[in-house]
Amino acid sequence: MTSIRRNLLVWLLAALSAGLFAGAVGIYLQARADANELFDYHLRQVVASLPGRTFPAIIGHETAILEDGTVIQIWDQSGARLYFSHPQARLPERAELGFSTVNTSQGRWRVFSAIVGSNVVQAAQPMHARGQMAAGVALRSTLPFLILFPVLGIAIVFAVRHGLAPLDLLAAGVTTRSAQSLAPIQETGVPEEARGLVHALNGLLVRLGQALEGQRAFIADAAHELRTPLAALKLQMQLVGRAQDADERRAAQAELEAGLARAAHLVDQLLMLARQEPSAPVPATQCALADIACAIVAARAPLALQAGIDLGVKRAAPLILQGDPAALAVMLGNLVDNALRYTPSGGSIDVETYEEDSAIVLEVADSGPGIALDERERVFDRFYRVPGSPGIGSGLGLAIVKRIAQSHSATVLLDERAGGGLRVRVRFPRGT
Amino acid sequence: MRLLLVEDDPMIGASVRKGLRQDGFAVDWVNDGEAAELAIGQGVYDLMLLDLGLPKKSGLAVLKSLRARGSDLPVLVVTARDAVSERISGLDAGADDYVVKPFDLDELAARIRAVLRRRAGRGDPLLRYGKLEFNPASREVRFDGAAVSLSARELALLEAFLDRPGAVLSRAQLEEKLYGWTQEVESNTVEVYIHGLRKKLGADFIRNVRGVGYMLSGPQ
Repeated sequence: MTSIRRNLLVWLLAALSAGLFAGAVGIYLQARADANELFDYHLRQVVASLPGRTFPAIIGHETAILEDGTVIQIWDQSGARLYFSHPQARLPERAELGFSTVNTSQGRWRVFSAIVGSNVVQAAQPMHARGQMAAGVALRSTLPFLILFPVLGIAIVFAVRHGLAPLDLLAAGVTTRSAQSLAPIQETGVPEEARGLVHALNGLLVRLGQALEGQRAFIADAAHELRTPLAALKLQMQLVGRAQDADERRAAQAELEAGLARAAHLVDQLLMLARQEPSAPVPATQCALADIACAIVAARAPLALQAGIDLGVKRAAPLILQGDPAALAVMLGNLVDNALRYTPSGGSIDVETYEEDSAIVLEVADSGPGIALDERERVFDRFYRVPGSPGIGSGLGLAIVKRIAQSHSATVLLDERAGGGLRVRVRFPRGT
Repeated sequence: MRLLLVEDDPMIGASVRKGLRQDGFAVDWVNDGEAAELAIGQGVYDLMLLDLGLPKKSGLAVLKSLRARGSDLPVLVVTARDAVSERISGLDAGADDYVVKPFDLDELAARIRAVLRRRAGRGDPLLRYGKLEFNPASREVRFDGAAVSLSARELALLEAFLDRPGAVLSRAQLEEKLYGWTQEVESNTVEVYIHGLRKKLGADFIRNVRGVGYMLSGPQ
């Protein structure tokens, strides 16, 4: 799990340490350069101070200089060594004039040679002295920062914690909410960086609230709608109990059965509607629309025959669309059931599938009474039934049709069939 | 007693009509608010059973316009919504009582009788007239302490007289109390049932007012 706090701490502390180290290295390098200059100057001074003096005088006088590790050698013109201050030092016998750096078995030495009078004078100094001095300078300069380091570290930890405190506060505010609370999170006092997140969360809460409200309304509607068939069942049952003779009882039982069938149908339709929730993903399968149409018509044929209605497939273009075949069958089944319910005996119902204006169309046309223009919007509302509708519909059929159409990006059009009756067209845009 | 049932659900309507007829009421059934107003206009009903969720015109609107016209027709509201506010608005709009779906047929009949009793200004559930006692709930009649067996039609006719003692009821008025719309009126039936009542309760229990109708003779 990533933690902003941990990330910030690690990076800040790492940067601080790296900065401190880089600073120390920089100071060391600078101090060494300074030391080089200083010691070179010193060597030059030593050499320059030698001419015009007798050796005993030099030796006696320069002991102080020699104590810092400077080694002096003097040769005469013939190359014979006149003087060597530290005979144990392994220095080259002869050196070029001017400054040079030589490697010896005792480390690197800085050497300066010059011709003074008739002699060659050489002053040499070990390099490690310069390094030691530079390191000393660097250490002394960095020491205060090293001492400050824990203080700075604590300050950083504190700053990070303080800086992220509003986030903790926000999280605490969200976690202590009850699951029912959909009130928006306070956006005032929220730091700028978190405001986008809070804003998005509030948007989500609003959408969630709407969805929950929709569910609640649906359940309330469903419970209300179930009351009617239940009330009928209770009455029908009492009438069965009151029946005086066998004929009366048989009639009452038939009514009770019809009441049960209605209640069961309503529950089925409710389940169907719940299953077609917009959030449920549509399994995209290749659906042969004509096959579905033929299957539904075949399944309803006995009912149509009994009702004296001519039900058939008028045109079945072999069209394939991406969708959920079960849902499409439910949709067409509802449309055909509606047509059967409202078409009078002797009427006809035609089912068609065809292609039109780059859309696949599923059409069901009947010779029933049709739906008045001002009712054509409302009939899609769940539980709405056109006043005076015969039979015992649930008022959910077209709501289910619309829901399934929506999940297939299709539109449902209601209009009048030529010669009277209702024509329902479900248009699936090509490419779905 | 003739009732107007206003109910849009075909199953509930059919069952209530059948059940209440078994309880001795004459019941007419309409499906929507507009048809209800047309039927009320006939002025033959003793009580209206009004569903609130109706097509065309809501039950509440029917009730309000009924009361606005000054009618005191007893109204029993039937509602599927059991929200308190719904019941309150029904009662405040002028309903005498309410039942919530799903309801019980016997309870419905009892409430109808209670509303009718209160409207008649009686506390006693028994209708009394002289030596006659009539129990509208059990449909039992006692005369001088002895049980009298009457047919359903005879009971309905007796109830119509007892509801308005002292009033002269025409043959047409009596027929209205006896038959709902879908029940066929047999000719001469009122006379047949009056004859039956006289035979069982005494020849001079019901008097003929020539050219006008019938009335109960004064309580002995």
